[in-house]
Amino acid sequence: MATIRKKKSLPGLLIGGFLFYMLLPIVATYIFSIATRWDRSILPEGLTLEWYKVAFADRWFLIVFKNSLVLSFSTVIASIVIIVPTAYWVHLRVPKARALLDLLSILPFAIPGVVLSLGLIRLYAKPPLMLARTPTMLVAAYVIFTMPFMYRPVVNSLKAVNIKVLTEAAQSLGSSWLRTMGQVILPNIMPGIISGGLLVFATIFGEFTIATFLVGARYKTFPMQLVYYTRRDGRIASAYSVISFTIAWVSSLIILWVAAWGAKRTTSGGPKKEKELKINSAGDQS
Amino acid sequence: MKFFSRKPTRKKNWWMDWIPILPFLIFCLAIMILPLFYMLKGSFTGSEGQFTLDHYAKMGASIYATSFKNSILLSGVTAILGVLLGTVVGYFICQLKSKRAQELVIALCDVTSNFSGAPLAFAFIVVLGSNGVLTLALQKYLSMDIYPEFSIYSFSGLILSYTYFQLPLMILLIIPAIAGLKNEWKEASLGLGANTIQYWRFIALPVLSPAITAGLLLLFANAFGAYATAYTLTEWNYPLVTLQLGFLLTGEVFRDPGAGDAMGILTLILMGISIMFYQLSVKRGSKWQQ
Repeated sequence: MATIRKKKSLPGLLIGGFLFYMLLPIVATYIFSIATRWDRSILPEGLTLEWYKVAFADRWFLIVFKNSLVLSFSTVIASIVIIVPTAYWVHLRVPKARALLDLLSILPFAIPGVVLSLGLIRLYAKPPLMLARTPTMLVAAYVIFTMPFMYRPVVNSLKAVNIKVLTEAAQSLGSSWLRTMGQVILPNIMPGIISGGLLVFATIFGEFTIATFLVGARYKTFPMQLVYYTRRDGRIASAYSVISFTIAWVSSLIILWVAAWGAKRTTSGGPKKEKELKINSAGDQS
Repeated sequence: MKFFSRKPTRKKNWWMDWIPILPFLIFCLAIMILPLFYMLKGSFTGSEGQFTLDHYAKMGASIYATSFKNSILLSGVTAILGVLLGTVVGYFICQLKSKRAQELVIALCDVTSNFSGAPLAFAFIVVLGSNGVLTLALQKYLSMDIYPEFSIYSFSGLILSYTYFQLPLMILLIIPAIAGLKNEWKEASLGLGANTIQYWRFIALPVLSPAITAGLLLLFANAFGAYATAYTLTEWNYPLVTLQLGFLLTGEVFRDPGAGDAMGILTLILMGISIMFYQLSVKRGSKWQQ
């Protein structure tokens, strides 16, 4: 009996320690952002919303927030437009190209943001092109960078529903390609597109590295401003961090929720591999 | 079944099927493949356009060699820490009686694996900076001064903050493998007279080993390519490969492009090998999870 009791306390201790390690930095940052002062005492000296007011009052806040939103939305849309029809077509008609697409979509995992930026700048920053340092190029780089996040869930959804049969049925009933795609295929792979899109959105909203190197101060983003404040004003940095964290965890929770919803819809359990696609998300932002 | 190949014209124009995917392939070529090839070419090209190995020879110079050493050390240590702790914690998460608690902890891993980069680095400054919450608490209640031996802005701080995003990743990776360990295997082995250690040594660990290998490789690559966390904490003061590349990249005038190319190519080789073997391990491990 004694050993059983000992065994019971060890897992509890380990999981407790794990929770402490994972939660403390986040919780502390949330509290820090509403504390009057918390750098000379154990507990915050008082509570205030002053730092958010200061952060919002700065004219840069709206600019960088808007820029990051524009980048994130543009990337999600570009990513859907480029990847979804291709993945659909390949699974329907060109099975030979599947291996090539799988390879291309896993490749970005092996390319750090710094290296991708380096390559793009070396190739496209010289005259006459001068394309490398534009927001458009940044979105293009982001589509590559987040390709695994969009491609995997979309492919999993495509596999979960029998697109061949659906397409044939739609066509034999006289539906055009566009209509088949929009009214038959898209609704069926929606869970994949939504989780992929949210993951891309959250990743790009927090992306610092590629943005710094490609556009830098010409097109300041939210994470750039956050890094700027970590060196100048910890108060404002804490407000920025809280906003960043909140966007990241809300997106993650919606993704989990959509995955559960998708699994319920397609009883074949298609999106169960959704976990796999998250696997690199940490590194991509870091 | 062969709905589309029924038309006789299909066979003749099989390449027509490839046309709709050309835009995607061209996009990948332009934004991903060509830039990397251009780097490869640049890494072998001297200032007069001649072939040279000088840029790679330069990698032996102290700053580059130190960067590679530090990056490999940081990635290796945090990968091993992440795999060890992640496997143990993952195992105990699977042992949790309450399904609800299990789901909550896994959701926490999901969420925290998305926390990284600048906000995470800042969160660690709040907790363990020189006036951090935990730094002060340790000072007051345990009269423990963690500074200057520990510093969040140094190697020890990088290890702590990198492990933060490595750990949940490993847990997400290992839990399906642990869930694949069948209770019958344990019962059968114990019934046949094996003890718990033998069960782990000869049954559980071999079954988990593909996932563990995959985790080591993925976590290594994950840390090696990371930039924002390290940059926020140390600026460019701590030599890491990605920080060094970032330093070469800043400014309109490119400092030593050849060295940048060579360093980028070496990074790609290292990461490419890790990701390739990671994929192989995942494939090998998936057979246990049917």
